[in-house]
Amino acid sequence: MKNFITYAIFVIISAVIILGLALPIPDIPALGDKARVLYFHVPMSWISVLAFFMSMWYSIRYLKTRDHNYDIKSYSSAQLGFLFCILATATGSLWAKFSWGSFWNWDPRQTSIFILLLIYGAYFALRSAIESEDQRAKLSSVYSIIAAVTVPFFVFIMPRIVESLHPDPILNTQGKINMDSSMLTVFLSALVGFTMLYLWMLDLKIRAEKLNYKKLSLTD
Amino acid sequence: MLLKNSYLVFKKDLSSELRTRYVINSLLMFVLVIISIIRFAIGDEKVDNEILTGLLWIAIFFTSVSGLSRTFVKEEEKETSFSLKLSTGSNSVILGKLFFNLILTFSLNLLILFLFVIITDYEIKNFSGFMIVIVFGNLGLVSASTIIAAIISKANSKGTLYPVLSFPVLLPLLITVINATKLASVGVETGKLLGEIQILLSYFIVVTVASLMLFKYVWED
Amino acid sequence: MSSLYDFLETNSLYIVLLIVLIIWVGIFGYLRSLDKKIKKLEEK
Repeated sequence: MKNFITYAIFVIISAVIILGLALPIPDIPALGDKARVLYFHVPMSWISVLAFFMSMWYSIRYLKTRDHNYDIKSYSSAQLGFLFCILATATGSLWAKFSWGSFWNWDPRQTSIFILLLIYGAYFALRSAIESEDQRAKLSSVYSIIAAVTVPFFVFIMPRIVESLHPDPILNTQGKINMDSSMLTVFLSALVGFTMLYLWMLDLKIRAEKLNYKKLSLTD
Repeated sequence: MLLKNSYLVFKKDLSSELRTRYVINSLLMFVLVIISIIRFAIGDEKVDNEILTGLLWIAIFFTSVSGLSRTFVKEEEKETSFSLKLSTGSNSVILGKLFFNLILTFSLNLLILFLFVIITDYEIKNFSGFMIVIVFGNLGLVSASTIIAAIISKANSKGTLYPVLSFPVLLPLLITVINATKLASVGVETGKLLGEIQILLSYFIVVTVASLMLFKYVWED
Repeated sequence: MSSLYDFLETNSLYIVLLIVLIIWVGIFGYLRSLDKKIKKLEEK
């Protein structure tokens, strides 16, 4: 089963890369071929948010059960979320350079991803500042939950402050990308494929961390 | 019962603070320092309200992140947290500390605002709206800072970690409150600020409820 | 440098390629570090 899933991930992502670059797309004003970036950039942002809320979910589970495995899961998910957050920032700012003219211009979307980066950074800073394992698990769980309840406020705040250039159905209706069916198919498969890739990497990371934990408790 | 106990925790903090004046004295100096930095940075220039509002909130943010962590750090340093744990429940501790921090922040902010208006020509056109925004902003600021102070008190390198942890959590509040104070200072009516005030109030409620639910995990050993 | 910028500006498909490469490098680098970590665990 697992083998099958990993092959499926390989096939889906390969297909997304090939079709994403090759398949003709409808003419989109001001973006043109650059609109293809969304096949790869949007899944990155989506996974960094997903991983953040998964981490929060495992934190809640940890506080409820005090099962150390949940802390491992929460930490692993946060680490992967951090990776994808960096990738989303890098790909996004490259895209911004060519369609808006500068790598970083504090667009609401860029601000949001920046805040997510800050939260991940603070979470790891907190973890490295606590020595005792139980304390570390407990306090970082509490912090990730507190951070997660404040994040949804940006949904209400951001549209009030500045207008966005980001092509998005929620924030900016003028810049909306009208996808035709083939584009939508590639886009959705990209989302599915990258999400599966994330889950697979998460599984690997969790297994490695569990081994590490076992080793540590054996040597103690 | 809960309210009475939280009031006792608050009274204990207040009287120990009035006795030692540890936080108050250093915070007063901090306020003076930051206000004079602002004074020397802008010199005799005529500065826009937009920039002045930003500077005001920089002063408020750094004053509160340098002072609000003390309530919990003090308990850990003086090893009084154990006896506090024995004498009362976690909810009354967090409520009492929250209330203490609120009083502290309110009075400090009034001082900062007073000095700030004196040294810069900060004109507040809609004063009542401005004060309402400041009050609601402070509620949220204190609620988030207090629970993070509780987390920090158990970690190493508390001083540097505190702004790092509180900034991303406070950012939605700061963005809203800076925007609202800016609007109030240029004379937008209070009625038009209701949306912002709503966000500030709901931020306060959400974070306080979350702190009440989570504090017991931080507090226990 | 500016010629590279102009090249990418006119052939925006290569920007997409560059972005795919960034993602690939990121994921690959992460897997490498995970690999190293597991290797260290095995040696212990």
